[in-house]
Amino acid sequence: MMVEDWRAVAFATGAAERERAEAGVRAAYEAAGLRGPQRVVWAPSPAAGAIAAVLLGGDGQDVQALRDAGLGDAVAEVASLVADVDAGRSVRDEVRTRPWEAVRAAAHAELGPQEWARVWARTTGSSWDAVNGLVTRIRQGIGEMAGAQGEERGAQAERLLRGATLDAVLGQHDAPWLWLFEELGRLGELAGPAEVARAAGWWWPYENAVIICERPSELHRDEPGRLHRGDGPALAFPDGFALHAWRGMPIPPGFIDTLGTLTAADIRAEDNAELRRVMLEYYGYDRYLNEIGAKPVHRDETGVLWRIDLPDDEPVVMVEVVNSTPEPDGTYRTYHLRVPPHTRTAREGVAWTFGLTEDEYRPQKET
Amino acid sequence: MYRQGDVLILPVPEDEVPAAVKESPPAPRDGRSRIVLALGEATGHAHAIVAPGELFRGRSPMEPDHLHLPSGGRLVHEEHAPITLPSGWYRVIRQREYVPGAVRPVAD
Repeated sequence: MMVEDWRAVAFATGAAERERAEAGVRAAYEAAGLRGPQRVVWAPSPAAGAIAAVLLGGDGQDVQALRDAGLGDAVAEVASLVADVDAGRSVRDEVRTRPWEAVRAAAHAELGPQEWARVWARTTGSSWDAVNGLVTRIRQGIGEMAGAQGEERGAQAERLLRGATLDAVLGQHDAPWLWLFEELGRLGELAGPAEVARAAGWWWPYENAVIICERPSELHRDEPGRLHRGDGPALAFPDGFALHAWRGMPIPPGFIDTLGTLTAADIRAEDNAELRRVMLEYYGYDRYLNEIGAKPVHRDETGVLWRIDLPDDEPVVMVEVVNSTPEPDGTYRTYHLRVPPHTRTAREGVAWTFGLTEDEYRPQKET
Repeated sequence: MYRQGDVLILPVPEDEVPAAVKESPPAPRDGRSRIVLALGEATGHAHAIVAPGELFRGRSPMEPDHLHLPSGGRLVHEEHAPITLPSGWYRVIRQREYVPGAVRPVAD
């Protein structure tokens, strides 16, 4: 049997496969003994989906709270999508929560705690941080659409939107768990939700209607899997809902545009330590060292240790390492790696980058 | 102890290899039948070995992998000179970088 790449599912981008997702939703309803939803509403982003959930499940006061928080335009757009929809009550419990919990409990009982932990680590556990981190950021971003207003009304709208995100079935972001259930041969019992996950983003099931979200149009991550992009949003949906991040750290949208024209003076003048770190990384430590006339702290056969003292922040300490293999033109490429601020020697720094102590680090051959 | 770019390879006595490692399924070889220790995400270049043997991945990017080469092997990379490894067990450590509040592996 072909094993699904559930990591790829979780981070898939591009237009949803709508027919497939809708078939998955119908299968989930059917398995719960429910009539399928008469209406399917496609939302262009989880932000639009959360607003739709407030419009369908909330009262007039809730909708007014969103408008008061400055979300009038977004509310109007989503309202046109759900204009004549009588959704009825939420059926998330029947469609997702109960069958899911039954499969989880049965699998856990069958395996016993030790084997369960082992399988969990190999599947869900190995992808959980990255996927859950992404979900958390999306929820934050949706809440902040309103919370950015900073008033009591904004706080009320933020609470409503955050609440709506917690009611969503996570679609593609359910992948870590679906991986585990597939590993245990129990995916068939969740065929509906699994099919939606393969084809679309978050969804909100109601008695008479379902809201299903598109997948991201853009998703950029660094090697450890954190949201990361220096020339645009790291995550974006077709309606423009987007998150900006540098190695996982949220950054203001406009900040990205300033990176291309940075100077060393801009970096020194930045008061926010986290933004300054981003600026330094983008600018290049070596270039910055050169321009501010930094002096090496220590030098040995493994490389050179540099230090930049920063106001109100821990110092940046780096090892400069020379590649042992020459480039085609005969030169040796050097690169800078940041090491903990207490590092005293170049060898200690290089050893740290491999998780070793200064004494342990003795390579007999390096290329 | 051998180093090729951002990968450090440490010989370990077989009895120091955790049983759980040996029991876990080995990482699949790539399309060219190579054992790939690390793949540079930006360049697509790989630290790879063509020889009999198995690689056992750690559970997270920060956990070392284990490599078993029953008859030795040659570690190659597009940008680095090859390294000949004697037979035995090894720990494979990816280079990391300090980030205030976190640590991240280096991609070459």
